[in-house]
Amino acid sequence: MNSDPRLQRPRMTLTELPPGAAGRVCALNGEAELCQRLREMGFCESAVIEKISGRSTLLCQICGMRVALGEGVAKHITVELIRSAA
Amino acid sequence: MTPPPAKPASARASVYALVGNPNCGKSTLFNALTGLKQKVGNYPGVTVERKVGTAYTQHGQPLTVIDLPGTYSLAARSPDEAVTRDVLLGRRTDTAMPDRIICVVDATNLERNLYLVHQILDLGRPVILVLNMMDVAEAAGLKIHTSRLEHTLGIPVVSCAASTGRGLIELKLALSRPDLPLSRHAWDVPAAIAPAVSELQASLQDSDKKQPLIARAEALLLLTDQDSVRVSGSTPLSPRTQEILSSWEKRWAADGTDWAAALVNARYDSIGRLTAEIIGTSSAPSGPSTSDRIDAWVTHPVWGWIIFGVLMGVMFLSIFTFAGIPMGWIENLVAAFSGWVSGLIPAGDFHDLVIDGAIAGVEGVIIFLPQILILFLFIGLLESTGYMARAAFIMDRLMSKVGLNGRSFIPLLGSYACAIPGIMAARTIEQPKDRLVTILVAPFMSCSARLPVYLLLIAALVPDEQVPVGLKIGIMLLMYALGTFGAFGFAWLFKKTLLRGAPPLMIMELPPYRLPKIRDVLLQMLERGGIFVKRAGTIILGLSIILWFLATYPKLPDNQPEGDPLAHSLAGRAGHAIEPAIAPLGFDWRIGIGLIQSFAAREVFNSSMGVIFAVEESDDESANELHLRDALRAAERPDGTKLFTPLICLNLMVFYVFAMQCISTIAVVKRETNSWKWPLFQLAYMTGFAWFICLVIYQTGRALGY
Repeated sequence: MNSDPRLQRPRMTLTELPPGAAGRVCALNGEAELCQRLREMGFCESAVIEKISGRSTLLCQICGMRVALGEGVAKHITVELIRSAA
Repeated sequence: MTPPPAKPASARASVYALVGNPNCGKSTLFNALTGLKQKVGNYPGVTVERKVGTAYTQHGQPLTVIDLPGTYSLAARSPDEAVTRDVLLGRRTDTAMPDRIICVVDATNLERNLYLVHQILDLGRPVILVLNMMDVAEAAGLKIHTSRLEHTLGIPVVSCAASTGRGLIELKLALSRPDLPLSRHAWDVPAAIAPAVSELQASLQDSDKKQPLIARAEALLLLTDQDSVRVSGSTPLSPRTQEILSSWEKRWAADGTDWAAALVNARYDSIGRLTAEIIGTSSAPSGPSTSDRIDAWVTHPVWGWIIFGVLMGVMFLSIFTFAGIPMGWIENLVAAFSGWVSGLIPAGDFHDLVIDGAIAGVEGVIIFLPQILILFLFIGLLESTGYMARAAFIMDRLMSKVGLNGRSFIPLLGSYACAIPGIMAARTIEQPKDRLVTILVAPFMSCSARLPVYLLLIAALVPDEQVPVGLKIGIMLLMYALGTFGAFGFAWLFKKTLLRGAPPLMIMELPPYRLPKIRDVLLQMLERGGIFVKRAGTIILGLSIILWFLATYPKLPDNQPEGDPLAHSLAGRAGHAIEPAIAPLGFDWRIGIGLIQSFAAREVFNSSMGVIFAVEESDDESANELHLRDALRAAERPDGTKLFTPLICLNLMVFYVFAMQCISTIAVVKRETNSWKWPLFQLAYMTGFAWFICLVIYQTGRALGY
């Protein structure tokens, strides 16, 4: 995947982000209640998420804490890739 | 374990509420402050634990501390969080609004933790901010300027490490301050929603009689909290406020603007500016932490399952092996007690009532206390080390297939020991529907009270000692598997139909691994065990006495001493009465008596079979079992055919797998769901399903010539 920072960064849902890569939250698009829950847990727009592992239930690192997210939640989070998997 | 107090012991002592995010070390701090002076109960009407303790200031003044359930936000999503919100806003009638608030935050994760603090500062109450886990933060290279934080917020800030006791004296000094300054931290409500906030605030002040600052905070909450959780015991809003709220909501919905998001983001912006000021990194954090390295194994797709399997295996082995020793003690103790009481009361009906009814009935449940304590000990250890969240993470994929959330697995697992603690453990599930489904299916898991019944019936089923042991174990495992499939199948069914809801949304923080605080774990184990004993001492005692009456009265008339007293009693007559219902399953009235008596506890089946088939009792238990087995094998129907054919034995076991035959479980479900509707539904669907399955098995078996 091309991750040249000068180009437009590729956008994808958190479920599509490869494990080991990091992304910046661009948009939350689920029900209002879920979005608020996510924002309160720190998944605000512009927060940086590092995906650690997981296919259906995934594990990620966000502002210094580790969070498990179900697939039904992760698909509502759109991120832009800022660092590819090492 | 005393019942929950309606009010703090002394009305003069000031009341402090302890609030914070989950996993911020709040409970450890609560235990450190109050020691053993705690009272654990329930908030009336909701199954949320209410913990109140007495602490002393550095000057020896007593004060009351309420440990509120952990929450990420005042916008509540679960009954626990709703209680926290309602207590802080003074909405609960059973708990007075606390005088002061102690806000606990995890210093290693200030940004997220400060969100709740930010909401709480809006309340305009005196707040003491406690930065907990400073030792961990320092080890991670974080440098937090507490004095700067104190200056900016204008409230006392205490840095502390509750696990080592560091900072406790400073906190107690802060507690004894006669006057606490109010926060001078100001932030800007986004301009566009300011009019809505002030209109709601005015209405809350006028119509709901709230103090101005509380009213403002509540107005902010109402605007972000569209579908707020209401729990019983919470004072409803006045109609006028409700009207204003819905008119604003309609206006915004028409605009298409997301004000909730704007509010949360405005708070985070303000927190971001604050943390930029006060956090400096002294040394760059180097590489993955110990916790991350452990996680690489524990949450690994293959190793994770192996570690999980080994831990669960160890837990079960301990429950079934170590518990045997104290269970023997309890048996001996009860036997001694019953012998002592027996000497006090002259022989007669009252003697039998006390010995055979009350004492034996309560023993039947108390005997499981060691298993339950071991289960709670393991749950406590897994929770306090941080593994529990990982286990829920691993199980989430499997559980989500039947529409449940990873957190449901602990209650289901616990139900293999006994459904009562399992159902009590369902309290940690956030979504009310998922929690209800978990409670409804938990009794399908074969509990240890079914074990003696299985053992007896397998012994009666498999003819000789020459039969390979493997077959017996195989039948046993089959029964456990049947129950487990039943639980998952019905969970799936309920989530599809009756309790249809959004697919479970899992957002769960995985706290860093920590060494368990043994004292906290033991304290929690004893508290939960105490709740169990209290229940056995009250509800189950009453029910045992009723069952004893049913099995004893009316007595045989004096002129025919040859008859069977049990057959003549109400229970015996009930056995006859239900015979038409159970005859299609191949059971006769004598088995019917056993089924009815099993409601006290399933293993009572064995003793009632012993009574019915007049097995001579001796002191040797294994001899008793052999006698009973032979008696069952010899039992005949009136037409001379055998009663306990292999088909009947198997069918009876299947019935025990599925049927709800446990009064104690019904009582617990009633308590946990706060209504008779669900326990009665559970009784009906489980027993109905058992009847149906057994009907199919028996009729098919008969048709095939067995």
